[in-house]
Amino acid sequence: MRIKLLLIWLLALLLLACQPDSPEQTGFTSDSTKKVYRHSEDDRPNSLDPIKASTVYSNLLVVNIFDTLYAYKYLQRPYELKPNLATALPEISEDGLTYTIKIKPNVKFTDHPAFVEGQGREVIAQDFVYSIMRSFDPKNGGTGAWLWQGKIVGLDEWQDNGADYDTEIVGLQALDDYTIQIQLTAPYPQLTYTLAMGFAAITPREVVEKLGQEFGSKPIGSGPFILKKFDSEVAYLMKNPDFRTEPLDIYFEGYDPALHSDLGIEQLHEQSPPFIDELEVHFIKETSSRWHSFTKGNEIHYTTVPKDKQNTVIMQQEPLQLHPQITEQYHFNYGLEAGFVYHGFNMLDPDFGISADEVQNKNNHALRCAIRKAHNWSQKNRAFYFGLGKVFPGIIPPSVPEFDPNLSNDSVEVDIAGARALLAEHGWTSENLPVFEYHVSGSVLQKQFYEQMRGFMTLMGYPSSLIKYKPYPNFGQFNKAVKKRQAPFFFMGWTLDYPDAENTLQMFYGPNATPGQNNFNYQNPEFDALFEQSRTLQPSPERTALYRQMNQMVIDDCVVISGLSRNKIHLWHKNVITFPDREIVGGFHLRYVDIIKE
Amino acid sequence: MSLSVNTTPDIKEAQSPTSRAWWRFKNDHWGITGLLVVMIYFIISLGVWFGIWGLDWSQTSDAFHQPPSLDHWLGTNAIGQDIANRGIYATKVAFEVGLLVALCATFLGTIFGAIAGFKHNSWIDSCLLWVMGVLDSIPFYLFVAAMAYAMSELVFAMHLAMILVFWTETARVVRAEVIRLKHMEFVESAHAIGQQQVLILFKHIIPNTSHLMIIQATITFVAAIKTEVILSFLGLGVKGGISWGLMIAEATNDIQAGYFNNFIVASGLLFILVIAFNLFSDALQDALDPKLNK
Repeated sequence: MRIKLLLIWLLALLLLACQPDSPEQTGFTSDSTKKVYRHSEDDRPNSLDPIKASTVYSNLLVVNIFDTLYAYKYLQRPYELKPNLATALPEISEDGLTYTIKIKPNVKFTDHPAFVEGQGREVIAQDFVYSIMRSFDPKNGGTGAWLWQGKIVGLDEWQDNGADYDTEIVGLQALDDYTIQIQLTAPYPQLTYTLAMGFAAITPREVVEKLGQEFGSKPIGSGPFILKKFDSEVAYLMKNPDFRTEPLDIYFEGYDPALHSDLGIEQLHEQSPPFIDELEVHFIKETSSRWHSFTKGNEIHYTTVPKDKQNTVIMQQEPLQLHPQITEQYHFNYGLEAGFVYHGFNMLDPDFGISADEVQNKNNHALRCAIRKAHNWSQKNRAFYFGLGKVFPGIIPPSVPEFDPNLSNDSVEVDIAGARALLAEHGWTSENLPVFEYHVSGSVLQKQFYEQMRGFMTLMGYPSSLIKYKPYPNFGQFNKAVKKRQAPFFFMGWTLDYPDAENTLQMFYGPNATPGQNNFNYQNPEFDALFEQSRTLQPSPERTALYRQMNQMVIDDCVVISGLSRNKIHLWHKNVITFPDREIVGGFHLRYVDIIKE
Repeated sequence: MSLSVNTTPDIKEAQSPTSRAWWRFKNDHWGITGLLVVMIYFIISLGVWFGIWGLDWSQTSDAFHQPPSLDHWLGTNAIGQDIANRGIYATKVAFEVGLLVALCATFLGTIFGAIAGFKHNSWIDSCLLWVMGVLDSIPFYLFVAAMAYAMSELVFAMHLAMILVFWTETARVVRAEVIRLKHMEFVESAHAIGQQQVLILFKHIIPNTSHLMIIQATITFVAAIKTEVILSFLGLGVKGGISWGLMIAEATNDIQAGYFNNFIVASGLLFILVIAFNLFSDALQDALDPKLNK
């Protein structure tokens, strides 16, 4: 009898241990009058330290916990910058080399024991200077330094001289508590965009120094939300009660009645965000779980539509129309991503890349072009993107103003006969074709990408036995192999950091070769000269012309098989007022989310 | 599976143990059915080997997720590949894996088991038992997955990993049988006439474990196929080709979208082969059981 009782007690204890965290543990209350918005993402952030915010998942949380000098207008498309912690857009000297930025006074970091008496102090210009220096400190392992490498006077030297935070940097100074001055080595028109990225978020030195590596999981900033709990499944945040009062002007933010009138956004006009009391961001990689969490009750309020649910959601593709049962229950929007997917060649690979032997070089060029001709973007789009993606030639995607809608589509149209002719013309036969290795992070989906590519290539006569699948256990290892130049051919995606084609063109700039952003190790002196010429120009027809010239060079050299911009559908519950966007706007929209209480 | 054995006067007329075993096997209808099904699979595999069918398994098309039709008997998958062709080609892959692993594991298991048994209670026996103990103490799938991952550069990484795991069971069975056999009169006679130990082991003892080798080989064959499916499903198995495991892995995406062809075909083919081989294997065990042969 005693044993039975003991077992019952043990079972009861076990069940108690299985219950979810109590509100006290998460720091959250179960108060039903509070407005709680539950967001979802399809992967989790690695770190919430701004200097490591290299993924959309990290960036989404970082820009809500910390302040950045600039942000993007909530509803304006194409994307447009606006001041955030800064009082106005930067004052730029006539030579384009000196940026002066004023920041708002009386903005405070949230409380932390590292501050005097544990109370958050005011954010000052020196905090911004410190935050940028952190990216250049080799001890920190930051991933965003490339944005300012070689561009700010004295910053690289500061890094080389031991990264002492008490040493002044000529080109990065706080003139007073509210004035920042940046001096550039050469004009850098994209600088303001970089100051809207999570990498440039402002961190308090005393907290960073006290927490060390822990700062990545216990971040303290001055943003609209305060992080209460963060693990691999969910991040709990609560409204920052001391967040500055800045009433929302929906017309300034780009409100368009034709696009936004059904979403309830006009109710928020002239109210000060954040509007919700608590924000939960759930990281749910498994699409089926995410879909069920979204459709069954209020476990999450927002999701993108997973590939395997597109049949359930989409009724018609051209023009896009969703099933009535979806539109009756949920709000939705959709749009092209600010980025694209592409296949790339490693131009240093002896079999497919540049060769010192002129004849071999021509043959390799023909081989790359033949593979590109065999690639069927249309079929790929229908198989993997439900036909909703936008196929475009070259590397300037439709989401940037420099996109050329009149560019020839020859490089993205399948031409098997042309591919075969090109191979024959350059003496390529099934006997002398090299082994084609398709490097990829291993997953069922990526294997299908490979199989489809193999299918395309066999149509032009490439022997199936020569097309090899080289999977890696995860994206990190795959990316490492690409950076180590071990992958002759790879399939990747690029999400733009800012709405300027320079962000994709720099991927082909010679000095950026791996381990930099130029994964293709493309070295073309003419391209590099044009890039250097264009990088200092402000947006203008002259700069656009240079961009397009570089785009054509990459197309002519058959460096990439590009590209396709995916069209993403966002769904959210009808009791939520929001206009979600995962692209360049990142997580800035979350401060404007509101919940309609029943 | 336990089957009743008919001991009618016919069995007594059978002269040799082999003919008695064959008589017993051919009267086991479930066993014969299993053998026939396995033969059908084997013929399908041979057809792929000789390039008669299943060659277009990798060809993609515009016809995504098509239902069964005259063009595509079992429909198509997400990138327009013919599921019937893929299922057929994967049968060959399964047989390749099953045969290679079964043969190698049985060979190794027999050799090491026989040596251990023959040198029973010696340091050689202790060493071999220790190696088997170590290998058996590691969780099976964890070990195979780790080996397959560590040797992922090798084409036969998965096969090697399975051979390394599967030989120990055969070795233990053979060892026990050899310990029993080495004290029998015919072995002692060989010793008495001065025959070399190696000859005694390989000429007189090992041939007498052949029934165990056959049974162990059939068990290993099925286990290898099932393991290959699991490893391929986990992304550690077949790389360049196609297998039932990969088809089931593909189906995880398809099922969410409401397409079941890939899953039904791959798991159905696997299920039928495993059941058939188990029936065949059980019948073989019964037929070759020395106790029933007496």
